[in-house]
Amino acid sequence: MRDGKSGELPGIDPARTVRSFFIVAIAYYLGAEIAFLVGTLSDKIFAPFWPPNVVLFCALVLSPPRQWWIYILAVLPAHIAAELRVGMPATQLLVAFVTNCLVAAINAYALQWLKVGPPWFGNIRNATAYVFVTAFVGPGLCAFGGAFVQILGGGFIDDYGLYWARWYASNALGSLTLGPLALICLEKIPFSIVSPVRRRLEALLIAVVLALTCIVAFEQVPTIATGYVPALLYLPLPIIVWAAVRFGSKGASGAIMVVSLVLIWRTLNGPSPFVVGSAEANVFAMQLFLIGLSTPILLLGSAIEETRHAETVTRDREARISVAAASSSVGLWQYEIATGAFWATDYCRKLFDLPADAPLSLDRLLSRIHPNDFKAASAAFRSAIMRAAPLEIEFRVQGTDDGVHWISARAQPIFGESGEPTAMTGAFGDTTSRKMAEADADMQRQEIAHLMRVSMLGELSGGLAHELTQPLTAILSNAQAGKILLAGGKKNLEEIGNIFDDIITEDGRAGEVIHRLRGLLKKGEIKYEAIDMNELIGSTLRLLHSELIDRRISVSDDKAVDLPLTKGDPIQLQQILLNLFMNAMDAMDGVVPTRRAISVSTATTQEGGVEVRISDCGTGLPPSQEQHVFQPFFTTKKRGLGLGLPICASIMKLHGGSLSLQNNVRDGATAIFRLPPVGA
Amino acid sequence: MREAGFTTFLVDDDPAVLKAITRLLNAAGYRTRSFSSPQEFLSAHDPSIPGCAIIDLVMSELDGLHLQQALLETGSERPIIFLSGKGDVSTSVRAMKAGAVDFLTKPVKREALFSAVVRAAKVDALSRQKRDESKSIGDRLATLTHREREVLEYVIAGRLNKQIAASLGTVEKTVKVHRGRMMAKLAVKSVADLVRLADKAGIVPAQGPANGERV
Repeated sequence: MRDGKSGELPGIDPARTVRSFFIVAIAYYLGAEIAFLVGTLSDKIFAPFWPPNVVLFCALVLSPPRQWWIYILAVLPAHIAAELRVGMPATQLLVAFVTNCLVAAINAYALQWLKVGPPWFGNIRNATAYVFVTAFVGPGLCAFGGAFVQILGGGFIDDYGLYWARWYASNALGSLTLGPLALICLEKIPFSIVSPVRRRLEALLIAVVLALTCIVAFEQVPTIATGYVPALLYLPLPIIVWAAVRFGSKGASGAIMVVSLVLIWRTLNGPSPFVVGSAEANVFAMQLFLIGLSTPILLLGSAIEETRHAETVTRDREARISVAAASSSVGLWQYEIATGAFWATDYCRKLFDLPADAPLSLDRLLSRIHPNDFKAASAAFRSAIMRAAPLEIEFRVQGTDDGVHWISARAQPIFGESGEPTAMTGAFGDTTSRKMAEADADMQRQEIAHLMRVSMLGELSGGLAHELTQPLTAILSNAQAGKILLAGGKKNLEEIGNIFDDIITEDGRAGEVIHRLRGLLKKGEIKYEAIDMNELIGSTLRLLHSELIDRRISVSDDKAVDLPLTKGDPIQLQQILLNLFMNAMDAMDGVVPTRRAISVSTATTQEGGVEVRISDCGTGLPPSQEQHVFQPFFTTKKRGLGLGLPICASIMKLHGGSLSLQNNVRDGATAIFRLPPVGA
Repeated sequence: MREAGFTTFLVDDDPAVLKAITRLLNAAGYRTRSFSSPQEFLSAHDPSIPGCAIIDLVMSELDGLHLQQALLETGSERPIIFLSGKGDVSTSVRAMKAGAVDFLTKPVKREALFSAVVRAAKVDALSRQKRDESKSIGDRLATLTHREREVLEYVIAGRLNKQIAASLGTVEKTVKVHRGRMMAKLAVKSVADLVRLADKAGIVPAQGPANGERV
């Protein structure tokens, strides 16, 4: 990369640069020696295989261009030393040097320009670029100059094409056999640390088998019909593929290296499978064979690497999502519609209280559902799957030790390319704490409603006491009258009978008041029954009778005939009526007594439910705050808590009804509440 | 108490209470008339019937105190007993200040009720007696002539006949005659009785110097 990002040899650090300088120089020299060892050909001083170029190329491609002069400078003495050892003349040496540097530089520059970097053979793009540049374009172009090396060494100008081809082939082969392995080793992936012993043994095994296979394959046995020879050449191929599949591009490049080494050694030092003509021609044939073999293998290796990497990335991502989901108490799951296959994250085991090794199947999970909820839940699952419709359900799971958890399950269908539903994907969440909080809130709401009732009755206590006093007065006076009559001895039994009748009636009257009071004061559970609102309003007004008289309020009521029954809890509904009436009474404190009036009316709603209106002529709602009256702790009363209306509103919501307050056109305000019909 | 004609008038808007207390009073021998609303009571009210009113304090249309006010405005002095389901101090004080005979809380025991009625009857009798008396006095006063009247005023001022004659510009004899006729018409035997009667009638004694000098 031009900006110096590719760098395991950064230029900033002089110590490192000096170190690299020497490493490259030495490597170059050693590479040359190895090449000579493998076999130079005749006295033309031409190696089929030139490692030094690869060394220089690696140095250049791994460092920023501005540092290249360092490495070129480093290899110059090494080159001179190596070539002088085999007695190369100066001009030839120089041209060789120039062309070697050129090919390395062009290759390195092209790859950097194409932004090819680590992972060198991790994906197809990089591998393709590498092959294209270093095995075709780079050497191909530079061969035009490189051919002169041979000519200068005593070749004929007519063989220019041949020399071009040979120069090209040996550079290309070096790039394809040594280059990949070198780059992979230089990548900072400590694969030797990562792979377990077993894999290393396998790698070793493959190498050994491959080598043996190659030896067998390339053993030319003239007595056997030479028609087999091409076929035998393919003997190593399965093993090479095995290496590529098992070890990706490392395996591929390693295998190619092994094959190349065996083949080159064979060709140069013994009977060769390539019998074309002259020794040089044989070598050339072998070079072409190797180039043709290694190119696809390298690409295969990188393709496999790319796929493996993608798989790892996906697996990591899945694991990350699982962990994230688990940390937010969510378990993920997926159900394949066609096959019934079920996948779920490990956290689902925890949610459903399954042991750690239990298999995760949908049925297994569903079997953990609490018996009370099982039917509904499994029906919901089945229906959602069958109709490929979104699922949303909550159910309880019986924990082995903890008691009950609440789980909420949601899912969405996934559709395939043809629009057919292929799977349901969803999540399980633990909503126990929310449910507990809801239950707590419910209980508190009931408590508060009860307290409001008690407080209201406290305010009404004077009036309520009066409601009891009247029947008690009647009872006492009746009884005392009876005693006088009896004492008088006149035996007016009929009159005494009447007295007892009246006493009983009046006792009943007192009893009704007490009964209503008891109902309002107790903290009982909500019970829904059929209610006649007209009757409820009537009994509420009776309770309020004394209070109304005391405050000089007249009540007019306009009850609808044939009012339908509605369903509700009589105590809570009476609480609402009491609250609304008391608000109306309080609102009229400032009104002249003769004008204080409340009107109540009932009517049937369009849906067949009940509508009740309570209207006063008092101060009305504060003008800008008509909506605020339902907010908790909002009150215009001096000693009000401000909870009455919010509680009424929540009671109405529970009943499926509605409550609203609005100012009248003239004085006062009207409260309207509606209840649904019994069937709803 | 249970004299002929003494009636207890009961006003309460709670029908059961009305019926029960009526029964109780009847059983005790009292004549009772019951009304379930103040309006009913006022429209049927006859002040000449001796008796007391027993009124519930908290009624929807007109409360007890206002009824008491209305009764007073009609000039009736019928004694009132209040009954109330609320026993608060301020109302009871107001009621008593306005001249009620008693203020009883419900449920009312017969002893309390009866003793209040007895007291009310006494008050009623007394007031009737007073009224009758002052009516008779008024009648008698009306029969006096102008001169007799003048003499009356001087006599109760303590003047001697001589002085009266001097003040009126007539002779003692004439004064004596007027005096005699006046005392006979008024049916009093002594000057002391005359003074008391004049007091009851509200007649002011004559003013001015006692020595009879003409001014």
